Amino acid sequence: MPEPRKTPSETPVLEVHDLHVTFRTEGGLVPAVDGIDFAVAPGQTLAIVGESGSGKSVSSAAVMGLLPSNADVKGEVLLDGRELTKLTAEELRKVRGNEVALVFQDALSALNPYYSVGWQVAEAYRLHHDVSKKEANARAVRMLDLVGIPSAAQRARAYPHEFSGGMRQRVVIAMALVNDPKVLIADEPTTALDVTVQAQIIQLLEDVQTEFGTALVLISHDLGVVAEVADDVLVMYAGRAAEQGSVKDIFYRAAHPYSLGLLGAMPRVDVPPKHRLTTIPGSPPSPGSIETGCPFQPRCAYTERVGERCITERPLLTPRPGEGNHEAACHLGRRPEIAQEVARTGIQENAAPEGAPLQQSAAQESAPLEHSAAKAEGPLQPSAEESAL
Amino acid sequence: MPDLVWFVIRRLLATVLVMLALSLAVYLIFYALPADPARLGCGKPCTPDRLEQARHFMQLDQSTMQQYLQFLKGIVAGRTFGEGAAAVQCNAPCFGYSFPLARPVTTLILSRLPITASIAIGAAVLWLIAGVSLGLGAALRRGRLFDRFAVGFALVGVASPSFLVGLLAILVFGFWLNMVPVNGYVPLTDSPVDWAWHLVLPWVVLAALNAASYIRLTRAQMLEELNLDHITTARAKGAGEGRVVLLHGLRGVLVPIVTIFGLDLGGLLGGAILTEKVFSMQGLGELLISSVGQLDVAVVVGVTLFSAFLVILANLVVDVLHGVLDPRVGHA
Ligand SMILES: Nc1ncnc2c1ncn2[C@@H]1O[C@H](COP(=O)(O)OP(=O)(O)OP(=O)(O)O)[C@@H](O)[C@H]1O
Ligand code: SF4
Ligand SMILES: [Mg+2]
Repeated sequence: MPEPRKTPSETPVLEVHDLHVTFRTEGGLVPAVDGIDFAVAPGQTLAIVGESGSGKSVSSAAVMGLLPSNADVKGEVLLDGRELTKLTAEELRKVRGNEVALVFQDALSALNPYYSVGWQVAEAYRLHHDVSKKEANARAVRMLDLVGIPSAAQRARAYPHEFSGGMRQRVVIAMALVNDPKVLIADEPTTALDVTVQAQIIQLLEDVQTEFGTALVLISHDLGVVAEVADDVLVMYAGRAAEQGSVKDIFYRAAHPYSLGLLGAMPRVDVPPKHRLTTIPGSPPSPGSIETGCPFQPRCAYTERVGERCITERPLLTPRPGEGNHEAACHLGRRPEIAQEVARTGIQENAAPEGAPLQQSAAQESAPLEHSAAKAEGPLQPSAEESAL
Repeated sequence: MPDLVWFVIRRLLATVLVMLALSLAVYLIFYALPADPARLGCGKPCTPDRLEQARHFMQLDQSTMQQYLQFLKGIVAGRTFGEGAAAVQCNAPCFGYSFPLARPVTTLILSRLPITASIAIGAAVLWLIAGVSLGLGAALRRGRLFDRFAVGFALVGVASPSFLVGLLAILVFGFWLNMVPVNGYVPLTDSPVDWAWHLVLPWVVLAALNAASYIRLTRAQMLEELNLDHITTARAKGAGEGRVVLLHGLRGVLVPIVTIFGLDLGGLLGGAILTEKVFSMQGLGELLISSVGQLDVAVVVGVTLFSAFLVILANLVVDVLHGVLDPRVGHA
């Protein structure tokens, strides 16, 4: 696991405050995002995780002003202190792709099949720079080269369907980076790719982030990747933040039963295949269907310990012990009990691997946490190996 | 692009074969009809002798297969009907000879083609522009008043019989409002202004009716296209709405539009029968209809084959354009 790069003094380049997104549909109002906050500083990576439908993509689209017209967006989106939700269409256009850029899940459908990849990268540049086509093409070729497309000058003339999945995603990343954006939002950039290619693309994202000092918002289902590259993590559940904090906070000191469930659901290389994936029983509620109480309550194994409050009172984000901004939205305030519970129910089956770091972090907490920490550490090492492939 | 060249060559060879098969079929069908073209050409009173003479002159006394081979030979080398001073010469490429009109079919087709082409191309350009822009506007204003109007117009257009609309247009704009001429054709080379002026009504009528399917196609395809991920990419890159819609959206709709446009135009160039009839234009369609009435089988065969050829050609052009417009389509 890389050393945390976070230096708390850094001012965020992108700040989102109390973001609400409601869709007006024929079936009524659908609150897809219900009040989330996050921030990311230059060179930092914020990972957003959560099950399908938890509002990850909607949140990132809201930042870019890319939601369809039936979406009501409330809240603040500040880019270098500038309120993006109040911009005119033309002002917003100048921000998109220039200061904030997007990398999509499926690079094949994200690229236009009718134009060469070089043209598409050059177009992104020309939309924000007053340069000749020739200069833009040269810039596009340089970017394609930078993201690792072999013989970029020739390949620039090829069309998206003539590339492999991984190469296409590199093209999309080149297109997103061509204007040297301050913030890069990658929405599940590796889901559509082979495992080995996934590792390469994540490596590429890390490399370009280091090179350009880009703030990265990484939406991912892959907790192994998150543990490897993120500085901060936002765990979303049913349009709200269940828990957020530094990557260590989430992986070693998870305070929300949902986060623990996700960590339990994380595939591990060191566990025999039949035990590999513990999924959280049940499925997330449709957004807005739970009006009072905790949205996770129907699936929560800890609700009996708290009792009525889980049903009657919505848990708000409250500070938890950790590296600073660790917060969780759960009534169950006493972290050690959870850890004990985890140990007892046997969600984690493995003792700490030898030489697992974190002893000291675990030592700060109560003893049973050691298991939890070790468990979280387990998958990190294999994925670090994978990325070296 | 050598691939494309080979593709065109292969397709042209295939076209020749298809045309051969088609011409044989058409020949057999029309010459198997009980009508006897010689009877029309034998004058009055038509004695059996003179009928036999006429048959011989028109080379109708040979077997059907022989006649067909004569027909093919005529295309390559020309034909001569009769002998001596009365002989009629039909130069290559000879697609038959019309005895009632006393002209080679090739000459007839070539003299009528400019009229039909003027009608067809002018109307096609109009309906392409009108249909695509209305369909585009409808897609962008989906569910709103403009969309309802365009969709309604498309429905009416598809359902309306062209001759009725044509007659109505003549009545209103020609006779009542006296705005435009109601019939007649002035060659482009004589006076471009008069040419266009005489064609305004048929153009508008044909365009109004054909635009309907283009409105529906453009609207439906555009709605689909605008939902695709790469449209979101274009917006995320910072492309303005105009660029998103035209360069990224409409670009993807080009292939289906070009396809039906090519096929529609190819079909119409072979004769806009009803329109020519309604507006009294002496085009290919009118030639075909009057020849059927005259039992002028040579002309019927010639025009039918020519129309078929245009349709096949349109298909070829459309296929070539597919490869040019869609990089995913190969011609290998
Ligand atoms: N255009 C829309 N109209 C109505 N509801 C929408 C629309 N787009 C998204 N939603 C709803 O918003 C919720 C959040 O969707 P979102 O795409 O953000 O999920 P996600 O967390 O990105 O999931 P995944 O991991 O599957 O990508 C979903 O319940 C979805 O049904
Ligand atoms: S508030 Fe209650 S139901 Fe919700 S996660 Fe915490 S313990 Fe579970
Ligand atoms: Mg998503």
